[in-house]
Amino acid sequence: MTAARDIVLEVNGERHALRLDPSAPLLAVLRNDLRLNGPKYGCGLGECGACAVLLDGRAARACVMPLSRAEGRRITTLEGLGSIEAPHPVQAAFIAEQGAQCGYCLNGMIMATVALLGRNPSPSEAEIRAALAHHLCRCGTHLEILASVRRAVRERAT
Amino acid sequence: MTPRAAQGLARGEVLAQEGVLAVTRRRAPVPGTPPGANARDEEDVFVAVFDDGSVAAFNGHVDLGTGIRTALTQIVAEELDVRLDAVTVVLGDTARTPDQGPTIASETIQIAAVPLRQAAAGARRALLAMAAARLGTEALAVAEGVVSDAAGRRLSYGELLCGARAILPLDGDAPLKPVGSYRLVGQPVPRADIPAKATGGLTFVHDMRVPRMLHGRVVRPPYAGLDSGAFVGRSLLSVDRNSVAHIPGLVEVVVLGDFVGVVAEREEEAARAARDLRVAWRAFSAPAGLDDVETALRRNPSTRRVLKETGDVDGALAGAAKRMPRTYSWPYQMHASIGPSCALADFAEGALRVWSGTQNPHMLRADLARLMDLPEARIEVTRMEAAGCYGRNCADDVSGDAALLSRAVGRPVRVQLTREQEHLWEPKGAAQLIDVDGGLDAAGNPVAYDFVSRYPSNDAPLLALLLTGAVEPSPAVLGMGDRTAIPPYDYPAMRIAVEDMPPIVRASWMRGVSALPSTFAHESYIDELAAEAGVDPVEYRLRLLKEERAAALVRAVAERAGWEPRTGPRRTGEGDILRGQGFAYALYVHSKFPGYGAAWAAWVAEVEVNRRTGEVVATRIVAGHDAGLMINPDGVRHQVHGNVIQATSRALKERVPFEDGIVAAREWGGYPILDFREVPAVEVMMMPRPEEPPLGAGESASVPGAAAIANALFDATGVRFRRAPFTPEVILAGLEPAAPPPPPRRRWFRGLGGVLGGLAVGAAAALGWAAALAPVQPPGAEAFPAAQLERGRLLAAAGNCAACHTAPDGVVNAGGRGVATPFGTIWSTNLTPDPETGIGTWSFAAFERAMRQGIGRDGRHLYPAFPYTAFAGMTEGDLLALYAHLMAQPPVRSVVPETRLAFPFNLRPLLAGWNLLFHRPGVIEPDPARTAAWNRGRYLVDAVGHCGACHTPRNALGAERRGAALAGGFAGGWEAPALDGSSRAPLAWSEADLFDYLRTGHSPRHGVAAGPMAPVVAGLGALPDADIRAMAHYLAALHPAAAGPAVAPAPDAAAWGAGEGARLFEGACAACHGGGAQDGPEVALAVSTALHSDHPDNLLRVILEGIPSVIPGHGAMPGFGDSLSDRQVEALAAHLRGRFAPGRPAWQDLGGRLRHLRATAR
Repeated sequence: MTAARDIVLEVNGERHALRLDPSAPLLAVLRNDLRLNGPKYGCGLGECGACAVLLDGRAARACVMPLSRAEGRRITTLEGLGSIEAPHPVQAAFIAEQGAQCGYCLNGMIMATVALLGRNPSPSEAEIRAALAHHLCRCGTHLEILASVRRAVRERAT
Repeated sequence: MTPRAAQGLARGEVLAQEGVLAVTRRRAPVPGTPPGANARDEEDVFVAVFDDGSVAAFNGHVDLGTGIRTALTQIVAEELDVRLDAVTVVLGDTARTPDQGPTIASETIQIAAVPLRQAAAGARRALLAMAAARLGTEALAVAEGVVSDAAGRRLSYGELLCGARAILPLDGDAPLKPVGSYRLVGQPVPRADIPAKATGGLTFVHDMRVPRMLHGRVVRPPYAGLDSGAFVGRSLLSVDRNSVAHIPGLVEVVVLGDFVGVVAEREEEAARAARDLRVAWRAFSAPAGLDDVETALRRNPSTRRVLKETGDVDGALAGAAKRMPRTYSWPYQMHASIGPSCALADFAEGALRVWSGTQNPHMLRADLARLMDLPEARIEVTRMEAAGCYGRNCADDVSGDAALLSRAVGRPVRVQLTREQEHLWEPKGAAQLIDVDGGLDAAGNPVAYDFVSRYPSNDAPLLALLLTGAVEPSPAVLGMGDRTAIPPYDYPAMRIAVEDMPPIVRASWMRGVSALPSTFAHESYIDELAAEAGVDPVEYRLRLLKEERAAALVRAVAERAGWEPRTGPRRTGEGDILRGQGFAYALYVHSKFPGYGAAWAAWVAEVEVNRRTGEVVATRIVAGHDAGLMINPDGVRHQVHGNVIQATSRALKERVPFEDGIVAAREWGGYPILDFREVPAVEVMMMPRPEEPPLGAGESASVPGAAAIANALFDATGVRFRRAPFTPEVILAGLEPAAPPPPPRRRWFRGLGGVLGGLAVGAAAALGWAAALAPVQPPGAEAFPAAQLERGRLLAAAGNCAACHTAPDGVVNAGGRGVATPFGTIWSTNLTPDPETGIGTWSFAAFERAMRQGIGRDGRHLYPAFPYTAFAGMTEGDLLALYAHLMAQPPVRSVVPETRLAFPFNLRPLLAGWNLLFHRPGVIEPDPARTAAWNRGRYLVDAVGHCGACHTPRNALGAERRGAALAGGFAGGWEAPALDGSSRAPLAWSEADLFDYLRTGHSPRHGVAAGPMAPVVAGLGALPDADIRAMAHYLAALHPAAAGPAVAPAPDAAAWGAGEGARLFEGACAACHGGGAQDGPEVALAVSTALHSDHPDNLLRVILEGIPSVIPGHGAMPGFGDSLSDRQVEALAAHLRGRFAPGRPAWQDLGGRLRHLRATAR
């Protein structure tokens, strides 16, 4: 724990001036200070992926990300992709393919998919599975999630 | 405007509305509740239709991620003839819904939905009667909530209810719609909850926030996962509140018996307080030998209960031509919810409101009433969505925790359990042991089936009740081991019994309850009979399966899957890979014995077995399913998918490991579950039976899974696997039952005895005290020119005074950090200009003497842990600038612990002798033969930066060894790797690498700065690039440029293995270290110096402690010291070494080093 200082975060296109411990986990700040529901606490060890956000478009695990590392970077959460009225194409693909059972892992699945498509617009099945390998789902929604990603790939291509 | 049905009206409010029609039923009083304590309102509402046309439907069950909210919406909309979006389903809420028991046993659609459907039908009948009265005709039609007659006159439900208040009893005799007229039920309907979940809407209890909310964490006792035994609730010795006094925002430490919790303003403060709080506990005795399920379950006291006995079992067994006694065992498993449980409680004015992810709101309310000594009527439990559970996890426990903490602080408190707490304490899916005896007659027909099952589980009482001592820790015996204990086959003689027993560790129902392991036995056994009889296993089943609906499913699934008839194991495949196909069938019979059936299910599983590594891959699963009428076929399909994947995971991978009687898996590396790369192709075959009543689909499809896979393994290998899970170790042991145990490891003992013995002769020349130098007035910042101050600031950064002179969480340079040395702990001093406790009265002469000779102002010798031997090389100008910088800082009063070394090291005058022996004072003079950069680098490295203090090996008296400068040393429990030609780094350190590393803390060709090196790099941040380049230049010149390869050696694929270390790496490390797509410097382990070192210390410390974020803009690695056991860390480190440093010998005595580091590093 280090002393609080002024920190500016750019989250979902908005700048937030905060006074916080720079070693605080980004996840806690996004959830509690910015009241975002998308990133979820799952393990606190970077293992399960429920907390995923995008940092400058790349997937990152917010539970093990010190705030200081997110300074000066573009942070995107699930909320920043789209809304329930106007979902992002990847969100829309997950809704269309019913890519959730309990839905607790859904945030990570969607964020990982957005990051994947950002670096590889037409991933193979093996590349999709590798990109999601360290995003854990316990309900066994894997088949619907894979279908959601394939739909997102398809719809991006058309 | 929000429809009235969606306004969250409480039960009493619904009944008091204008413009409502409600169907209600009088509530039965809670038995055993004292009068007055149960002053609950008396009418349960099932369906309410409002005058805006909206419909509220109330069900006491909850949606655990199975989609029942959507299915119930369909049922109500269908019977009422309204649109789906007119219906709001309210689930599991003590202020709103009826008490329909816990959401277990796949009962929601089959049982709990029945009164809802009847209520909807009753409401429709009443609305039609109202319309008939208004329109004067009974020839009416209804569509989408509008009643019309033949003349085209129309009246909506809303219009009919304008100004009305009709409360009707739920009598259950209203006519239900015939299945043939269904428009909504039986159609695929998208889940109503997914759009909000996909866009970050508020649905999960984890996201619930209220004004004035505080954050809580709990500190659990060491008897993790044990809920019976005299020590439960009685083990707390003391709580040291001072240990968390330093945490800002801390509100309260709450102690009630063995319940310990902390409350803070911010979540990370509460987390920190829970970690730092020092709590002392009594020792306890854990159950022994839980890894050996068979022995543990046979020893557990039990009572035999015979469920069924037909024919002469003993006679038949005695007369069998082939007797086949078999034992099957199932391991402890976890719900392993992805989100650790969370709850929010608000206790105010004698009433409690709880937002919870519980699967049983009413049962939880009764528990909370007991815990808080409140009448149930003063407690409201609102169920919100939670991470999927497949039975009883910690959702209720954390609700009790939140209630206690909220009461203690008088504010709403949100409690989030940690991953470790959820893993350790969740009621486990119980282990199970099943003995089957039977056999064949001479014709290959079975003669008898003698089945006994042991299932140590109950309903896992609320943890807070146990920890506070409100209930006794004596385990109840619930007798839930009888689910699906009766086999589906028509054996001529049968004796089916369960040994009812209490839990051994905390255990409760988990998907498939005891039915899944029982079916593992039933369906493995019939496969064994078929193989012994030389009959195709599907054919053999059909001979004994009398129920036509079951047989039809079996035939259909076999056909769909392309079942390949066989009369024994086929052992097909090529190379290392063997392939097999297996079958299993089950009707999941649940609830209190004899119970009733949910959906029928059958699997054909196809597997590949690697006979060299033991790895099993499920390649294709065909799952047949007969759920009768499917309310939402998409929902059923998703449930079948989920069951297939989860059951495959459970059969292949999942087993709770125990160490010393305690759950040893505290994160995902220790409890791996199936990931996306392992997902088989799944084909679902739904039996079309819309004419049959709807059956529960939440669990059935998982029940045959393990047996189907075991039977496929038999087909592939000819070996019968009767102990799940089928991990590589189990497969290899099965394939080669006589494999010798690995040879015992050679142990290498490291000792310090010789080193310490040599010390006694040292430092003979005692020269007494040096003179004290006169104190001066602190000069203050104004005494020095700005340029000098700036130069001093850079020197302080380059020398990183703060690294040693700042206590953890302390003020910079105020001293008090303990530096561990072989001679004892040396405490760093206060470098701020405080006159009494710091260096405020030090003249420059005194400062210079300390820096060059190691003598304090008072004349006392300083221990050479303070590297004056290096600083002596600094120029006078630099020392003056450094002095100026230090004197210009704000004074901080800070009394640091006095260094007290054991004799003879406590005799500081002896250091005069030491200095004579080892100290070569003198300013470093530039070497004219070298470049300016080299000379600058040398000055920074050898003098100011005192790199040798850590990186040069020390002799027995703690002096840097001559002729071994920068050849590698140890400092503060970390290895400081060699910087000269003796470096073990797999890639040679080039000048560019050194620059990257010193400048950014990261070299892509070597790794990141960790341990004490991380703050060093952070300090170097103040220096200009030119200085860093000079250091890199000097260091690079220390070793021959060509040493080492230019590219990393390829990791040794063969050494990866598939064992525990590999699994731990995959689960705990590979998300970031697996070449994945995570943000941040990708640390290629193959080039890591720590992994190639002669010593495992740095790797072990990084695993235990992680790498904190010290370098600005740099990432962090979490420590796994609280999440992995010693055995796990050892297995992981050995795996990393073998995999990423294949050319280097295995480390010896990893366990010993680990225990040493655990003991000393904290």
